[in-house]
Amino acid sequence: MSDGFGTYETLKLERHGAVGWLINNRPQQLNAMNAKMRDEFAGAWQELDADPEVRVIVHTGEGRAFQTGVDVSELANDGQGMERYRESVANFDLHFTSWHQRVAKPVITAVNGLCAGGAFHWVADADIVIASSDAQFFDPHVSVGQVVAIEAIGLLRKMPFEAVMRMALTGRHERMSAERALQLGMISQIVDPPERLREEAQSLAEKIAKNSPAAMRASKRALWGALESGLSQACRDGADELVSMWGHPDQEEGPRAFAEKREPKWLPLDSAQAAGSGPGPR
Amino acid sequence: MTAYTTLKVEREGPVGWLIFDRPKAGNAMDAAMLAELEVAWAELDANPAVAVIVNTGEGRAFQTGLDVVQLAKDPTALREQSRRTKRATLRLTAWHNGVTKPVIAAVNGVCAGGGLHFVADADVVIASSAASFLDPHVSVGQVSAYETIGLARKIAFESVMRMALIGRGERVSPQRAYELGLLSEVVDPPEMLRDRAQELAELIAQNDPGQLRAAKKALWNTLEMGLTDAYRASAQGEQS
Repeated sequence: MSDGFGTYETLKLERHGAVGWLINNRPQQLNAMNAKMRDEFAGAWQELDADPEVRVIVHTGEGRAFQTGVDVSELANDGQGMERYRESVANFDLHFTSWHQRVAKPVITAVNGLCAGGAFHWVADADIVIASSDAQFFDPHVSVGQVVAIEAIGLLRKMPFEAVMRMALTGRHERMSAERALQLGMISQIVDPPERLREEAQSLAEKIAKNSPAAMRASKRALWGALESGLSQACRDGADELVSMWGHPDQEEGPRAFAEKREPKWLPLDSAQAAGSGPGPR
Repeated sequence: MTAYTTLKVEREGPVGWLIFDRPKAGNAMDAAMLAELEVAWAELDANPAVAVIVNTGEGRAFQTGLDVVQLAKDPTALREQSRRTKRATLRLTAWHNGVTKPVIAAVNGVCAGGGLHFVADADVVIASSAASFLDPHVSVGQVSAYETIGLARKIAFESVMRMALIGRGERVSPQRAYELGLLSEVVDPPEMLRDRAQELAELIAQNDPGQLRAAKKALWNTLEMGLTDAYRASAQGEQS
């Protein structure tokens, strides 16, 4: 690959400036996840997190869908079905989102078009979510005899409960618009026309890439930690993250650059070491 | 009331006012304000004539966080603040200081960084149409933690994370803050903010003080635990 990334069959990895792109690339299957893609995600997140040139990661999809969950035709035809995944699901030992892989860098999910079922994993587990104006959200699990659990649980901690429950129970018979997702705080930005989604995501990522990588990693850890415990405990855990930056060169450089009216020169994360040091399952 | 140099502490009917009063410094917290905040919250909470407290700012800003320039010149105060930060024993807000009365934050202008403490920790938040919200910590090499952790327990998470990671690069408008439920009312024109806050406080002050105190305690407590535990704790609270 031109950017020096490994070879992927189901994903595209690209780098534009300081922004690493992870693009779901099974457009014919509406980017549904087969076993191959599931494995490739694990490596792709690690590779982007470890790449010293990448400061912020954007995740989107090729074609008219962002993602549509697990590849049901593979499940139906490969003789193994969900059994293949039984152990990893039962042990909650998953590796296909940035949160599963403890990515240290900020992650933006840019939802293009359809976002269905298992796709909510990457909405729930991203730091920031934006969507094209033609994005549609729904969770068909119960309409095909499946349980909704992990993705919806992630969302429940992050947005109003009723909306998530309604989506879980209406299944494929109702779709949520990008407009409603914005109102609910599930996403923070709608891009219209839809063709401009990648451009806007790149520009948002570039804004974020101007901030201190070390401070952002610690902030990510503190904030995701707040979903794990009660308020007071989260504040006590957050104190450790706050204090972790004390004495770091960025804390001197930030105010100095501000006073001198110039862009700060941040110490880059030692990507090889920092990769996988972000927030993730406890 | 006690004499303050960085705050105005006043009473109007049943409403106690705590007003940040360093308008030339964006109402940033210097060593004196840090000390006075503790005293002011305690005084208003103890005053039997005060039923509800309103917190706002003088001038164009609501609150812009720690005054690091001033604190750098006062090593003792800085050391004490660092110690409290490290131990999670801050005494800035009503919640930090265990205030039992309802607290309304009336955000009159920019609310940046550490200013978000007073929004995260208030019971009710309203803002003028001139208000804006941002968290510049990561743009100056600082971690965003307490303020945004507090907010993350109260509103949609993604919006808080976006604010924390984008730093200086973007401001949240009062309209968006209203949509997100960060606040419940936008007052326009901005000059009407204090009148409206007084009116809202008086409305709340009509309720039974004991019930207000119990409700406040029970609801904040739910941010500390799971659903069933929260129900159990509130049932025990009602019996005692």
